[in-house]
Amino acid sequence: MQAASSIGTSLDFYLFVSFALFTIGAIGAMTRKNMIVLLMCIELMLNAVNLMLVTFSTYYGNGDAQIFVFFTMVVAAAEATVGLSIIIMAYRNLKSIDIDMYNQLKN
Amino acid sequence: MDSIVILFISGLLGLFVGMRRQPLSALVISSLGLTGAALAAYFRGQYTSPLAAYTAYIPTQSAVVILLCIVTLLAIWGGYQRYRQENEHTGDYLSLVLFSLCGAIMMAQPNDLMLFFIGLEILSIPIYVLVGIEKGSALSAEAAVKYFFTGSFASAILLFGIALLYGATGSFQLVEIQSNLAIGIWQSPMAMIGSLFLLAGFAFKIGAVPFHFWGPDVYQGASNAVLMYMSTVVKITGIYAIVNVFGQIFRDSYFYWIDLISLLIVLSMFYGYITAWKQTSFKRLIAYSSIANAGLMLFALADIHNSNIFLFVAAYAFATIPLVTINEFADQNSDDLSNWEGIAWKNPLVGAALVLALFSLAGIPPLAGFFGKFSLLWSAVPHIPYTAVLALIASVIGAFVYLRLLMLALKKPEVQVKKALSAEQTIVLLLTTISSITALYLI
Repeated sequence: MQAASSIGTSLDFYLFVSFALFTIGAIGAMTRKNMIVLLMCIELMLNAVNLMLVTFSTYYGNGDAQIFVFFTMVVAAAEATVGLSIIIMAYRNLKSIDIDMYNQLKN
Repeated sequence: MDSIVILFISGLLGLFVGMRRQPLSALVISSLGLTGAALAAYFRGQYTSPLAAYTAYIPTQSAVVILLCIVTLLAIWGGYQRYRQENEHTGDYLSLVLFSLCGAIMMAQPNDLMLFFIGLEILSIPIYVLVGIEKGSALSAEAAVKYFFTGSFASAILLFGIALLYGATGSFQLVEIQSNLAIGIWQSPMAMIGSLFLLAGFAFKIGAVPFHFWGPDVYQGASNAVLMYMSTVVKITGIYAIVNVFGQIFRDSYFYWIDLISLLIVLSMFYGYITAWKQTSFKRLIAYSSIANAGLMLFALADIHNSNIFLFVAAYAFATIPLVTINEFADQNSDDLSNWEGIAWKNPLVGAALVLALFSLAGIPPLAGFFGKFSLLWSAVPHIPYTAVLALIASVIGAFVYLRLLMLALKKPEVQVKKALSAEQTIVLLLTTISSITALYLI
């Protein structure tokens, strides 16, 4: 519980940073066109959640969320691996990583 | 737990056999693994593993696991035709399906949000790869790109919701979250926003309006075999997960959500069926039909205490799989609806399976689809009567969509060309047809 008291006064600050990171990531993921940048924005969102989980974990004084953060990191790594390979495969087919070029699927 | 281990091991074996370019052996190993997993779920479903206390995962209801295994088995057999000819990726395809199914089994009945999220990712990541498994095709690449970016965005949103719920309640265990919410934390904005984000992530995974936009494009770009797997298993898993998570978290306060859920149901059903009406591509038609069916499945949330969704999802899966198999039979490389003209006359089994599957999807009485829809709506009517009435109107529109496809398939051709089904396709069509008819005796 000592940890809980040490973070208690500044909880708002950590949450603010984490919300800001998440919002930047989300807006970037919705507006940017380059697929590599999109991947980075999604990673930013996941890392914002990690920061929030660690903050809450310290606030509540239990370790559950810190374990979760490791799993989230593994998931983020797996997603980056698969995402980059999909981007490479897509680039070989269309010679572009601009997401707007991918508009052939329609009725 | 046993099922997951069996699936994982047979997936690994399938990779090795696939490396040696033996598609048939890979199919046999995967089928044995799936059968073993279903048997393990049946005989040892109540068995509590020594790790259960630690992992907080206990399979409470083995029926779902068995259904998922059977549906996957039918999907890999129905899609095997293509992989017998191009034996390059057979092992990869089958193993990715099995790995993804491990995640589905983890995710379908969670009692802990941490395990639920990991299961969701284990389910999703192999499917991103599966959608793009045809490396040379630009459409497949586009579908994979779209599914990957929208899917991982939705995962991040869902994770954000989980983190906010943890912040509001201090636990990932559904039981503890429920008891903490019940003492009044429920009113806090953090819990409300958290559960909204969670609902958005779920709606994305099952493809309900307004998070449906990825569906038609991804389904169109994926191959028939992958389409069969992702249009059934992902939906079944998603709806079971949402019923379990929301049913446990909001056990006493679910009526707060019922208006929002009703909105999702009505929007999905009308949008799905009305848009399906003017499609010229079979895969897009199936995608819009699956959006509408996702709306129907959400009726399970109306009465969380005794939701009766098993028959409906089983009927939906057993009707979608033969339709996609028939699309594979019609033309492997095209999904244009013109291929369907007069297809029922090419093979008697195809004709019978097609009529029964479409009638089952439309909800015509003696078939499984009718009983599924009936039991689902019956338990929901006392809680959301007006939504149920709107859903019935939408179902009538949907019946005409399916009848239009049926008319196209039954158009008598001038020259009759017979075409033989492969052995696996025959088995799939027979099994799904029989189960659509005999559903009456199962309830």
